[in-house]
Amino acid sequence: MNHRKMKFSNVYLWVVFIILYAPIFYLSYYSFNSGGTMHGFDGFTLDWYKEVFADTRLLVILLNTLVIALFSALISTILGVIGAIAIHRVRKRKNQNALLSLNNVLIVSPDVIIGASFLIMFTIIGIKLGFVSVLVSHIAFSVPIVVIMVLPKLEEMSSSLLDAARDLGATEWDVLTKVVVPFIKSGIFAGFFMALTYSLDDFAVTFFVTGNGFTTLSVEIYSRARQGVSLSINALSTLIFLFTMLLVVGYYFINRRGLVSGRVERNMDWGPPNK
Amino acid sequence: MKSLVRMMLLVLVLGFALMYGASALNSSQGYSGGNTLTIYNWGDYIDPELITAFEEETGIKVIYQTFDSNEAMMTKIEQGGTTFDISVPSEYAISKMKEEDLLLPIDKTKLPNLKTINPRFMNLSFDPDNAYSIPYFWGTVGIVYNTELLKGLELKSWNDLWDASLRNQILLVDGAREVIGFGLNSLRYSLNDTNEDHLQEAKAKLEELTPNVKAIVGDEIKLLLANEEAAVGVVWSGDASEIIGENDKLTYVVPEEGSNLWFDNMVIPKTAKNIEGAHQFINFMLDPEHAAQNAEYVGYSTPDEKAMELLPEEISSDKRFYPKPELTAKLEVYDNLGKKMLSHYNELFLEFKMHRK
Repeated sequence: MNHRKMKFSNVYLWVVFIILYAPIFYLSYYSFNSGGTMHGFDGFTLDWYKEVFADTRLLVILLNTLVIALFSALISTILGVIGAIAIHRVRKRKNQNALLSLNNVLIVSPDVIIGASFLIMFTIIGIKLGFVSVLVSHIAFSVPIVVIMVLPKLEEMSSSLLDAARDLGATEWDVLTKVVVPFIKSGIFAGFFMALTYSLDDFAVTFFVTGNGFTTLSVEIYSRARQGVSLSINALSTLIFLFTMLLVVGYYFINRRGLVSGRVERNMDWGPPNK
Repeated sequence: MKSLVRMMLLVLVLGFALMYGASALNSSQGYSGGNTLTIYNWGDYIDPELITAFEEETGIKVIYQTFDSNEAMMTKIEQGGTTFDISVPSEYAISKMKEEDLLLPIDKTKLPNLKTINPRFMNLSFDPDNAYSIPYFWGTVGIVYNTELLKGLELKSWNDLWDASLRNQILLVDGAREVIGFGLNSLRYSLNDTNEDHLQEAKAKLEELTPNVKAIVGDEIKLLLANEEAAVGVVWSGDASEIIGENDKLTYVVPEEGSNLWFDNMVIPKTAKNIEGAHQFINFMLDPEHAAQNAEYVGYSTPDEKAMELLPEEISSDKRFYPKPELTAKLEVYDNLGKKMLSHYNELFLEFKMHRK
């Protein structure tokens, strides 16, 4: 009985994964098509990949996209961690929940509205659209995500741990850097990678705040798609898919190593983990 | 903590390295100099070789950006924050931008090449005397159909769409003006008609069309028709030439009752910084040779008479995209109907979309 149930859930899982991944593989498959369209596979070619690397404008846009993703993820991670710790420290449960809800509202509010508001704000302040405006808006929508990723880790942390550290003579700074931050490290990494991927694929917000020759990949692909998507876009998408795969795999290994070493450390320092 | 700091440094180093790479690539293209021209155009709407040729000829570096709808482009320009020197809106957008004071007047003394433009495409209702806009491309709205799937059936007029044999075979573009427009045209009314009786008549007629309509779609209409998902489509001529390029079983016809004639014109937005360069660029694009090269690449119809002579015979003699004067005389340009009438059109279109088969 139990065995059969397992099997069904496995099949279900596979079906879901196939549905999720099929369009991506379909797209990648045609990036090797020597015919110019997405119907009918004529033969294998790497021409579309060559075209991607010959198109300097596209490469500049790709680099811009990555720069924005890295910087916005980094800055929003720092801001988000500080924010999460601050929310965690709020004493009253009610206030804490209120703050958290405010944070969540930003996650669920539509990108289009965030983008439009940023566009209006930037033009009122007089900031030129371009690198800075894109960076600032990406940081803005990433921070709440980081907060959400870090907060559960903080909740997990037992307060006796902090008390023990203080009893042993740690200053507040020591407590923060030697106890709290190492404990929530996996949450921080998760937040960083989430922010990175959100920034990489965001279209709606970015669409509003790009300008003056600075643009990101999602916006560029969207406007190119008007005339039918060239297969070089397939090639580029394949490359980016591989890149994000690498990121995820990298994150997985960092996370696992962190978990293992964390457990070992705890075993050594405080005996068997109390959970 | 240490590993976090290490990670942070790594990200910073990587970020700056990529940034350096981007700016190095950019300056290898010469974008860093002061003499630049920012062009805001539809996606894939110019032969990239022409941009290179322009850069070589004038020494001006071109920053090229793209948009996908008149509305998005107008919003960007209205908000400021960017310095677009050239944009290419469609006619109704031009009259709207004029109303909202978003355009700079064009100095025609700086455009010696203007003389080869067919006078038919000048001095039109949306911009009298071409004070603010210069023709770039023009086209029509018409019917694309698959001769093979229709087994030789020939479509000539809007009324052929109502033929019972086309059940569930027609794709329509998602545009209120286009659909209500051909509804009016099929009754031999003007597509700028504002007479309420005529509009209701057109709507009633369109509702009879619903059994034949497979879907009302956006830009994906090109892909669907090329892939033979449907036999008939109501599209713009430029899209049509592209679809035919991909699947030669398809052909295009401008219905005999008349149809819409549209224009995309070059304008100088009020945000422009390099006004001199903008004029140089417009003049460059008006050069018959460049206009012909561009028309061949993009597939839309050029308004330039001289360029027509330079185009390969098979393009310039193609009656589907360069229709005869008898037909062009019947074509109408969209008037700016005003906000109220336009929303009435939208409402009628919405009711048509909701009508059950």
